[in-house]
Amino acid sequence: MTRLLPRLVLSAALAAASAAPALAAKDLVIGVEANMPHLDPANTNDTLSQTAERLMYQGLMGFDKDMKLIPALAEKYEASEDAKEFVFHLRRGVKFHDGTPFNAAAVKTNIDRVANPDNRLSRRSLVSMIAHTDVVDEYTVKFVLSSPFGAFVNNMAHPGTFMISPKALAEYGKDIATHPTGTGPYKFVSFATDTLKVVKNPDYWRPGVPKVDTVTFRAVPESGSRFAMLQTGEAQFIYPLPAELVKAAQANPNLAVINAPSIVARYVAMNNMKKPFDDIRVRQALNYAIDKNAYGRIVFSGYSTPMDAPIPSDLGFYSKQGVWPYDPAKAKALLAEAGYPNGFETELWGGTSTAVKRGMEFIQQQLAAVGVKVTVAPLEAGVATAKLWNVQSPADATMQMNYGGWSSSTGDADWGLRPLLYSKSFPPNLFNIAYYSSPVTDRAIEAGLATADPAKRAVAYKEAQAQVWKDAPWIFLGVDRLLAGQSKKLSGVYYLPDGGVLTEDAALD
Amino acid sequence: MLVFLIRRLVGTVPVLVAVSIFVFGFVRLLPGDPARLVAGPDATAQDVAAVRIELGLDGPLLQQYVRYMGQTLRGELGRSAKTRQPVAHEIGARFMPTLWLTVAAMAWALAFGLLVGVISGVRRGRWQDHAGMVMAISGISFPSFWLGLLLIDLFSVRLGWLPTGGYGDWTHFVLPSITLGAGVAAVLARFTRSAFVEVSAEDYVRTARAKGVPERMVVWKHTLRNALIPVVTMTGLQFGFLLGGSIVVETVFSWPGLGRLLIDSVSFRDYPVIQAEILLFSLEFVLINLIVDVLYAFVNPEIRLK
Repeated sequence: MTRLLPRLVLSAALAAASAAPALAAKDLVIGVEANMPHLDPANTNDTLSQTAERLMYQGLMGFDKDMKLIPALAEKYEASEDAKEFVFHLRRGVKFHDGTPFNAAAVKTNIDRVANPDNRLSRRSLVSMIAHTDVVDEYTVKFVLSSPFGAFVNNMAHPGTFMISPKALAEYGKDIATHPTGTGPYKFVSFATDTLKVVKNPDYWRPGVPKVDTVTFRAVPESGSRFAMLQTGEAQFIYPLPAELVKAAQANPNLAVINAPSIVARYVAMNNMKKPFDDIRVRQALNYAIDKNAYGRIVFSGYSTPMDAPIPSDLGFYSKQGVWPYDPAKAKALLAEAGYPNGFETELWGGTSTAVKRGMEFIQQQLAAVGVKVTVAPLEAGVATAKLWNVQSPADATMQMNYGGWSSSTGDADWGLRPLLYSKSFPPNLFNIAYYSSPVTDRAIEAGLATADPAKRAVAYKEAQAQVWKDAPWIFLGVDRLLAGQSKKLSGVYYLPDGGVLTEDAALD
Repeated sequence: MLVFLIRRLVGTVPVLVAVSIFVFGFVRLLPGDPARLVAGPDATAQDVAAVRIELGLDGPLLQQYVRYMGQTLRGELGRSAKTRQPVAHEIGARFMPTLWLTVAAMAWALAFGLLVGVISGVRRGRWQDHAGMVMAISGISFPSFWLGLLLIDLFSVRLGWLPTGGYGDWTHFVLPSITLGAGVAAVLARFTRSAFVEVSAEDYVRTARAKGVPERMVVWKHTLRNALIPVVTMTGLQFGFLLGGSIVVETVFSWPGLGRLLIDSVSFRDYPVIQAEILLFSLEFVLINLIVDVLYAFVNPEIRLK
């Protein structure tokens, strides 16, 4: 094809001299999949924006590389017995990027901003249980909740409650999204269409970091092009790395592949209120009918682990139930017992991406083997919204089965269970599209929120998970593995189980 | 001429109004609730309701339309639902990358396509013609995402001469403009050739040869100039299409252009951005058609603008 274009050779030769990436030693470039919509942490909800916000912002709490909760802008906290009062002791001597001090008043300004309904911020639900926020002294802040909320500390690690300079908030108002001013390891430089650039914060409170001078996020939607960037050295870290490029990356001596666990659970929600899924034997049968190991191999090229509890193992208070066995004979027997000796016909919904469609076709084939004839219907995002999430009452739900996934952004069992499996979470309130309702599960989920005592919460969530597993409201499938590619010169960049990336400790040789 | 231009420009106003009504209705016919998409997968009903008001999507459709038209007439395009930035800013930031890429791609495609078309036309039925048309057919049939990835693999990964993508200095333009222009060059080559062949059979070409005009003049003046009319039309059309941004090329080369913005906006149901972009594309086409009409008169003075 190139002979079609003789002038190209000339231009290419001319380009040769100047095209080598003119990067100084300590400039880190990260190739990502999509554009970040914007950078107001209280108003974004995609993992990518949140990852970018983590460069510049921090919350009272944070996550380490294993997604365990750690103190960040707070040094420690105390919770009342009834999970209604939380006192945070703040780190001293921290400054925002504009030089103003971080203190209890700044915390109150931020939390009040998110909580104020007039500001119409999309993360308001993270703080809507707060009755009032009190400045106790310069470095102590107290939250008084209107109802017990045991997972409250996790909400203080969520990007929605990141701390923004009150001065910048007053100055920029709604435009704070384009003028990020936080306490984080990097300061904002520029954000143009698909490139975000930040520079090292020399006054960062943690000594010794950051170790790189600048970090650039570049949106490169095509995965082949993203991988090419890594190969040429234009980027030092790219994610996600598609499974089909793993071999090519491993073959390159300069590159390393990161294969990390995620908290993304994949499952098929069945409509528990409608025939034939209102019969527990049918739901159990479908769980027996699917080979979860084959699911991981075929749909995710092996980069998936079978689900062994209703929530992934990297969420707080996970309680292992064991993988549901693959037993088509038992599935057929259960279906016959439930009155469907010849199976039945049903419809499976899901998204439109290639990987999701592959998953739906796999489920279709597996269920066909036990006599269940599945019609696969990929729904475009807007349609899914109307048909799944905006349904006003259970009777209006037309869903029979839906193949989807969930990632609990707070890292806690509460947000992994309550939105999906609590009887007060039917759409349009939250996301219980399976219309699963169990008094035992409900009570356990409520008990988990009624206290901030980790031991008591563990007991509650253990009970909830056991009950859900037994009731089988979903076909439990797998938990994704996360794949990224990086240069061997790079260290200290961590791929978090929620799909975010931590760059605070990044270092380049 | 001036009267012609003014009359044509005024004539575009009803077209644009019709387009705006059509687009307003059309985006709202798309299934899906933008407020839900903006609020995100784990937002509560309360959060979604807040976002709906924030986006101005509350109230009856007619009220929304009146509000939209009022703003548009005042030159306000609103804010993007996704980025919360002014729409003019969103489109403005991507317009120049798309424009320059279009110009670069069109420039080489036009030069190359005309050259191949003329050579094929002159050497009709000979090997040059066959070679030219094989290239043209390849250019049309080669999927641009594949061509783009092959070029990246060769010139960026293997040879290390050019960057893999992104918008920047002239080295960033080479691969995307080749990829974008390949199909256009091919179409233009085929158009030029067939127009050339047609005109070659005209009496005045024979007359020119008979009165002893040098062959070079016969080809470039008598034949090509008359063959240019359909080529100019085609060039205008292609230019208009490319100005809409190429989704494939912009994706492969991570080019911050209008095509990707449109796709992102449609999947996000970002009504203000979709509406403004479609309006812009309509305006571009109207202007390009106007320019093409004017060019006709230059190419063939017999055509009068009325």
